[in-house]
Amino acid sequence: MIPGPATADRISAVVFFALGAAMLVGGYTMDRLEIRQIHPASIPGLVPMILGAALMICAVLLFLGARRSPGEVAPAATGSIRAMATAALLSVLYAVGLVGRVPFEVATALYVTVFMAVFSWPAGTGVMGKAKAVAIAAGFGVVVSFAVSTLFRVGFLVRLP
Amino acid sequence: MEALSGFGEALVRLASLETAFHVAWATLLGIFVGSLPGLTATMGVALLTTLTYTMERDAAILVLICMYVGAIYGGSRSAILLNIPGTPASAATALDGYPLARQGRARHAMALATAGSALGTMVGILLLVLLAPPLGEAALRFGSFEFFWLAVFGIVISGQLTGGTYPLKGYIAGILGLMVAMVGSEGIHAHIRFNFDYQPLNGGIALIPAMVGAFGFAEILTVMFAPKGHVVGTRGERDRILPRWSDLWRYKFTIGRSGVIGTLVGIIPGVGEDIGAWASYAAARRTSRERDRFGKGSLEGLTAAETGNSAVVPGAMIPALTLAVPGSAPAAVLIAALFIHGIRPGPMIMIEQPDFIYLVAVMLLFATLAIAVFGLALTRLFALVLKVPREILMPIVFTLCVIGPYALTQRVFDIWVMVVFGLVGFVLRQMHYPMAPLVLGIILGDLVDKNLRRGLTLSDGDLTPFFTRPISAVLVALIGLTLVFSIPVVRTGASRLFGGGGPRG
Repeated sequence: MIPGPATADRISAVVFFALGAAMLVGGYTMDRLEIRQIHPASIPGLVPMILGAALMICAVLLFLGARRSPGEVAPAATGSIRAMATAALLSVLYAVGLVGRVPFEVATALYVTVFMAVFSWPAGTGVMGKAKAVAIAAGFGVVVSFAVSTLFRVGFLVRLP
Repeated sequence: MEALSGFGEALVRLASLETAFHVAWATLLGIFVGSLPGLTATMGVALLTTLTYTMERDAAILVLICMYVGAIYGGSRSAILLNIPGTPASAATALDGYPLARQGRARHAMALATAGSALGTMVGILLLVLLAPPLGEAALRFGSFEFFWLAVFGIVISGQLTGGTYPLKGYIAGILGLMVAMVGSEGIHAHIRFNFDYQPLNGGIALIPAMVGAFGFAEILTVMFAPKGHVVGTRGERDRILPRWSDLWRYKFTIGRSGVIGTLVGIIPGVGEDIGAWASYAAARRTSRERDRFGKGSLEGLTAAETGNSAVVPGAMIPALTLAVPGSAPAAVLIAALFIHGIRPGPMIMIEQPDFIYLVAVMLLFATLAIAVFGLALTRLFALVLKVPREILMPIVFTLCVIGPYALTQRVFDIWVMVVFGLVGFVLRQMHYPMAPLVLGIILGDLVDKNLRRGLTLSDGDLTPFFTRPISAVLVALIGLTLVFSIPVVRTGASRLFGGGGPRG
């Protein structure tokens, strides 16, 4: 379940406030580099402290204004969370889980195949129809993987992950 | 006169078959990128930057500028045929373009959009050539105090204008961007901040992976989240594919005004093509005789929006080249690309490479000619491209999002940065936080940080010069005014006084 705009604003205000406070404390406790005898006005923590304080102020204003925020449509009403979540999951698995662990070509072919198969799955057809969809997706995955890998390896001399 | 001769010299220097080849493919690719929902101009320029490392300097910049111009123009295709702006820049185009397409006048609309875009860019190029050199010279008088306020002004005005009805979210996005820029080694004492004992963070968060995430991966998720669009057919339509001279003549004032508005919006740091289009559209609606047709298929509204967004491109290059402060999100990537190719944008550009501004103007001109030719000649092809299903397009785009940032540094860490920015960017977008101030914050963070501390060191901790030096004082006043205008009561009063602005997407 996705919270409404006002609730989402309130939750994010709390998160931003905490982030701002963390930045403020982080800047305050940061090394002042006295040992290097730098000018006290040029300490590395100065700008982080200011930014932290500014974000905290904005977070308070956001929290207070959450009720008055203009009537935005709740995201749940406009789109398909399932499609988005599936795309996000597949993409994150590919980028964080596969790339760097298995050869790039294999990872890419797998990702493109699964992505295409999942989103063009012919639910109403028989085994043959489904097998055909998977075969097309697999062929497409191999072609894309080969094209992208070759472009970067040969064309731009990149050592692929 | 000097501007004219500089422009002429640049024209002669660039005129070659190789240039024509690069202009042709890069602009065409740009139009495709722009016309496909899910691929934005920023993402196109960012991804193409990774492909230009091995190219020669002028060719690389030319290719990126053609991509930028092509993508901003290409967004009008899907806005007209799908009612989904290919890039946010074309949101205003959809208001009148889509109704025209539904009336069976899609080709006429596309022809007019092409002419509007080309003319808008021309107006912008003229202003770029005229304004950039004097601005570059004025920028030489900028010291730490002025640069600090300029960067703050950029964040504030970008937050204000892109935050729509709720500027606070724009400011928050800007502060978050600045915070991201605080990670890693700082520019004065080389002290490493916020690395959490994790070595890859020592160098900070690079702009390209962050932008590819925020504009690429986040866009993919947005496309998968949104309902599928339906292309309005153009087959069998007997509508004309060339714009009518009479239309262009009738809307000459709209074109001129939108061109100037677009360019001026482009000059404002971090305020991109979408705002240029909305501002031009609102101005046209206010003064038009066919006001009641706006939103129902007005040719004038379409012309204003397309001229306005395209004129932002040359406008955005003005501060990017002379101050190293990007006028729009794609211009931010272009700045990064300029550094990669050995050009140092900023006040010194007029001394170190005075001809470069004219080279950019000529590159923009070539890109404009290319969009005019492609736009009018390949109408049917572009309509076909829009029918590529998203389940085919999106995995390819994401593969490029993964390998593009990696190619720059060959670090897997940059892929993770892209993923994190994509996920966070998607959530922030759904909550109506604009991405432009965030990106501007990342690029201006260093400027804010170094110039504040350098200024304070110069004045021995005294804040007075930040407020009393003439240019600083003007910038402080502008920042103050912008902040005051973001207070709802003041905004309501002002919009009542001036008769309201355009809707925001």
